[in-house]
Amino acid sequence: MPGETPLPALDPMPIPGPPWLFHALWLVTFAVHVVGVNVVLGSAILGTFASLDRDRAFGRPIARLFAEVSTWAIALTITFGIAPLLFLQVLHGRLFYSATVILAPAWLGLLLVLMAAYYLTYAAKYRLRAGKEAALPLALSALLFLAVAAIQVAVHLLSVQPGRWEAALASPWAAFSDRAFLPRLFHFVLAGVTLAGILLSWLAVRRAPAAEDRATAAARATWGVKIALLATLLQLVVGLWLTISVPRDVLLGLMRGGAATMAPFTLGIAAGFGLLVFLARVRDPIADRSSLRRALELFGLAMLLMLVTRHQLRDVYIDVAKAGAAPATAAQWGVFAIFLVSFVGCAALCVVALRRSATDRPGPGGATA
Amino acid sequence: MDYPIREFAVGGGLLIAVVAILHVVVSHFAVGGGLALAVLETAAVRRGDRPMRDLVKRSSTILLLLSTVFGAISGVGIWFTIGVVHPAATSSLIHTFVWAWATEWAFFFLEVVTALAWVATWEKVSPKTHLLLIRLYAFAAFLSLVVIQGILGFMLTPGRFPSTASFFDGFLNPTYLPGVLFRTGVCLALAAAWMAFAALREEDRAARARLSRVLGGVGTLGLAVAAAGWFVWERALPEPVQRLFLGEKPLLAALATGRTHTFRILLVAALLALLVTALPRLQSWPVALLALVACSGVLAGYERVREGVRKPWVIAEQMFSNGVLVTEIDALNEKGILSKAVWATKEAGGREVPTGEAVFRAECSSCHTRDGYLGIRQIASAMDADFAATFLTALRDDGARWKARAAGQDVKPDYPFMPPFVGTDAELEALAGWLASQNAPRTAEVSRAR
Ligand code: HEC
Repeated sequence: MPGETPLPALDPMPIPGPPWLFHALWLVTFAVHVVGVNVVLGSAILGTFASLDRDRAFGRPIARLFAEVSTWAIALTITFGIAPLLFLQVLHGRLFYSATVILAPAWLGLLLVLMAAYYLTYAAKYRLRAGKEAALPLALSALLFLAVAAIQVAVHLLSVQPGRWEAALASPWAAFSDRAFLPRLFHFVLAGVTLAGILLSWLAVRRAPAAEDRATAAARATWGVKIALLATLLQLVVGLWLTISVPRDVLLGLMRGGAATMAPFTLGIAAGFGLLVFLARVRDPIADRSSLRRALELFGLAMLLMLVTRHQLRDVYIDVAKAGAAPATAAQWGVFAIFLVSFVGCAALCVVALRRSATDRPGPGGATA
Repeated sequence: MDYPIREFAVGGGLLIAVVAILHVVVSHFAVGGGLALAVLETAAVRRGDRPMRDLVKRSSTILLLLSTVFGAISGVGIWFTIGVVHPAATSSLIHTFVWAWATEWAFFFLEVVTALAWVATWEKVSPKTHLLLIRLYAFAAFLSLVVIQGILGFMLTPGRFPSTASFFDGFLNPTYLPGVLFRTGVCLALAAAWMAFAALREEDRAARARLSRVLGGVGTLGLAVAAAGWFVWERALPEPVQRLFLGEKPLLAALATGRTHTFRILLVAALLALLVTALPRLQSWPVALLALVACSGVLAGYERVREGVRKPWVIAEQMFSNGVLVTEIDALNEKGILSKAVWATKEAGGREVPTGEAVFRAECSSCHTRDGYLGIRQIASAMDADFAATFLTALRDDGARWKARAAGQDVKPDYPFMPPFVGTDAELEALAGWLASQNAPRTAEVSRAR
């Protein structure tokens, strides 16, 4: 048919479980990944700002905190990026591979960019630990992480719109000039900045600070809240921009989904407004810890709901492109059970390991490793 | 093959090889490091051996930086690369083995968390907790290897899978255990080789020699296990595959040479390890570096041989490296390769590709580049259109032999390292014409001479 993009044939090999199971696992693991992405992006950006702050005594410790958190967060983000990537390939392999082939230079380049950003974060962390300045590595890592996010967004948008493949193959810029590209990227970035801001405040006042630390803790928390507030305000604008940038058919499709699609979407927006209210209410972060806590919870809620919307939006995109598929299934329940047991076991062992690492502190005279 | 196609100047195969070799060297170190460090830290705690403890500590940051950063990203990198170079095969493997990968991922998750915790808690927690962390790390890292080897082995020796399509038949394939054995040995050898540098930083001479000796012992043990693993592995390969590089007249001379070189490298590595064990005071930067290069070389050589004997398959006996399935040979000969490879005529940059070249992109470009690795311009330089057509016809006739072979008959294709040509007569002519045109100036001279 003229004008139609030829889709690769569906893989004749059956998938080893029912699609809903893959959707569920995908969503759950992806949610963890996105928390990590937010922390990493937000830490890199706020860490850069903090390290550029003229008041060094104020900025450096914040930058250091972000760098310390970030090295852990990056490891977990990458780890939790792998699982959704597996499940995505089971469900939408032909769309995903096609998009990555078309954008291969950027897609493979992503790895180098990510590795450089990661090592730069470590470099910043060790520099800050040694009392040295680290604005440059932090700023570079922030830029590189932004590039990673941009590539992911571009690949995602391309994969669900086979109609754009040919143009993108002819010129990769076509993939980046998707109208939804920029607002979608900004949506992610602002979420990261918001989370990093709230987390910073929360960490500063989570426990009532000692009298001599009160001023520092309050200043830090106020800084975090202000940034989070600003980012959330912007987020409302960007959210609207994103909504109107989504192709008409797709938006209509989302609306036609009824309560199943509209409920998460509207509740997500409502949670965003709620977040704004609680952030705006915080005057004295130390006295008003509960508002901060609410803000953190509402952020989590808004994020989860928006992830559901994102997932549904992908399906609408794919439906509109008539690229959906009902693959044959041949469930491997035995192997799935092995996975489940391994996963639960490993997660439990992680908890044990982390708890013991955090609590085992031999008293004076006791031997340490 | 019905996916969009991208040709890489260095060749897709070489691209995968580069990423894969970087990854395997680091990831095997991460596994072996876990095993070795767990044992050495235990010994250090039991005996109150301070220099040994310091050695373990000095090795820990590098383990973290290599395994959680480089190892993780390059692992994803292999994934990205094979997805781009062999999308159909990747899809097929994912459909069969996604739960195995997910299981490996669960262990990798534990590996990352324990690595971070272990490195962060030096001087903070009790020795007992610290030992628990490194043991959990070693356990997780080793199990991730045990899981992934099932899939790696499957790609080469699918065992009974083609007829049963059962996960465990594919996973517990003939080269599974030999592969685990070989890899475990290499893991230990690589870990010892890396840690040798940390041992050299010990100030006390006597302690330095003692540590070097211990590591030399670990290296020797690892290489012995690896050699045994390789030996068993070769014997687990199917007869026709063994013929490719064993026997008096190997079918793939290059592969046989590669194998011999790898053995030589293994011998060098083993001699170095023995030398350091016997005369630990001779251990020094250059020796350690040479040993590290040699151990990496053994692994790289193994991976090359493994990839080499897999040619022309990407999944043995099922899918050729260009994505053509054995089961679709006849259909494609009838309907034409371009009926399936719909993207072959569309090139990055937007040029419309003529038919002959499109057939090349669909069927040959997964192995042959234009001018680089296995460059077609070079290979086809002596071909005119008639010669090329004869060659391609012979290559198409191979199709029947591959099918017979896959069905279990003892038939030998004429070109054992290349997939058969599939496609219509028109496509064959077009490709022949294009191959000949690659060599336009020379053909012109030849015809003038005639
Ligand atoms: C599985 C990877 C692979 C694919 C796909 C492949 N080749 Fe090859 N080809 C090889 C290898 C390996 C050699 C051997 C090179 C050597 O021995 O130096 C080779 C050799 C050749 C030669 C030289 C043959 C000879 O007798 O010396 C020609 C011509 C050739 N290939 C053409 C093609 C064409 C045309 C296609 C597509 C229809 C193709 N190849 C597909 C791997 C491949």
